[in-house]
Amino acid sequence: MRRQLALLDYAVGALGRRAGKSAALGAGLAFVVALFGAALLLTDAIRAEHERLVEEMPDLTVQRLVAGRPALIAESFADELRGLPAVRAVEPRVWGYYFFAALEANVTIVGTERADPALDAALAHGRLPREGAEVAIGEDLADHLGLRVGDAMGIPLDGDIVFSPVVGTFGGGSAIRSADLVVARPAHARRLLDVEEGWATDLAVDLTTEDEARVITRRITERLPGARVLERRLLRRTYELTFDARGGLLAFLLVPALAAFLLLAWERLSGLGDAERREIGILKAIGWATADVLAARVYESLVLSLTGAAVGIALAYAYVFWLGAPGLWGALLGWSNLRPALDLAPALDPLQALSLLGAVVVPFVAVGVVPAWRAATLDPDRAMRGAE
Amino acid sequence: MTGRLRALAIVLGLAALLIATVLADAARRRAARDAEASHRLLVRVIRLPDLALSSSSRWLRHPSQAEPGAALADLPAGLDVDPAGALIGPPRAVLEAGRSR
Repeated sequence: MRRQLALLDYAVGALGRRAGKSAALGAGLAFVVALFGAALLLTDAIRAEHERLVEEMPDLTVQRLVAGRPALIAESFADELRGLPAVRAVEPRVWGYYFFAALEANVTIVGTERADPALDAALAHGRLPREGAEVAIGEDLADHLGLRVGDAMGIPLDGDIVFSPVVGTFGGGSAIRSADLVVARPAHARRLLDVEEGWATDLAVDLTTEDEARVITRRITERLPGARVLERRLLRRTYELTFDARGGLLAFLLVPALAAFLLLAWERLSGLGDAERREIGILKAIGWATADVLAARVYESLVLSLTGAAVGIALAYAYVFWLGAPGLWGALLGWSNLRPALDLAPALDPLQALSLLGAVVVPFVAVGVVPAWRAATLDPDRAMRGAE
Repeated sequence: MTGRLRALAIVLGLAALLIATVLADAARRRAARDAEASHRLLVRVIRLPDLALSSSSRWLRHPSQAEPGAALADLPAGLDVDPAGALIGPPRAVLEAGRSR
């Protein structure tokens, strides 16, 4: 223990003697970890946010296809499904997109009967629509249109403007889901989306037990040829796959940065200066074993890389969750006009943190040790004279 | 303990403190998000769990809803839904074409 402490003490002294070089390498390492860390933190947080509320989806969503395209589905088909065993409820939904030319963006119009005052807590201001042409809209949309609760939202329709009183706005924590949302009564949603009475966008099916999903799916497709049934259970898995692939892609783009840094570190560390070479020669001459020289070098690299990695992780976290990932968030959202502010809960995965450390710290320690090993295996006399 | 080791202990202690701060802040934010009722209620009202990450391409707005013939044709949340989306924006004229007069 005392021996190891003495080696550690020596390693810290060596770092101090090359303070400039150590600081530059530490800063470079912190920067690379911050880049990787930011990409991982962001994609992990988005995936966790997606998964958080998947359970509020219907167990099954039934769509109808005509000529390979999604088409409206007859509401009467809902009655047929209600007769199936294990089906608890079937709700014909009316929802869809409306291209808002003034914003050059699609807004999502959702018709809902749900108007229970207990659900008003979903809104940041006001209440859910309860009658007529009332709408509740996302705060980002309201900001873009300069609307507040009590104003009327003008929606161009067939050469006319339909005015809908805004009775509530969604916002705050739910902005990431509600930025482009217009929630209306089903009749008003039908009018805005031009969906005739008796037809729906899709059918939301709730089951008594999710285990029956596969059986019921088969029975639905038998009864309605051309139906497409989406299972919530399968969706959870595909979400996972999608975001893993995306996050992996983002991290992959950063591999050249890591490679460049390691190349730089290798260049800086492998060109052992005369002074360092002489130092190793003296250590060997006064009786240090090669293992001691290497241990001191490993301690040096470990102290530098662990400190740099800790700073890098803190920087990545601050960049993503305190500053809202300026630049990266915009790049991920692309050219969407209505874009919510980044307000995600961090999902720190210890395994990913470890693999990040493994990808950066282990190679860094390795590139520091190899040149020291080469110098330490030289004859002390030659090393002191500065021979290669 | 020498002065150098003491300095090292302080530096490593500060690094550990940084990580502890990150973990504590993350736990606080997660707890705040879990306690937030509005989010869950919103999804209960609209029953669509997707994030509003794309308001310009409708096939990316609701990855949970497959749309044949579009990018998510094969399965909900399919891979490679927008291979060039982060690189190429549409010509403005295309958006103008949808303008109702």
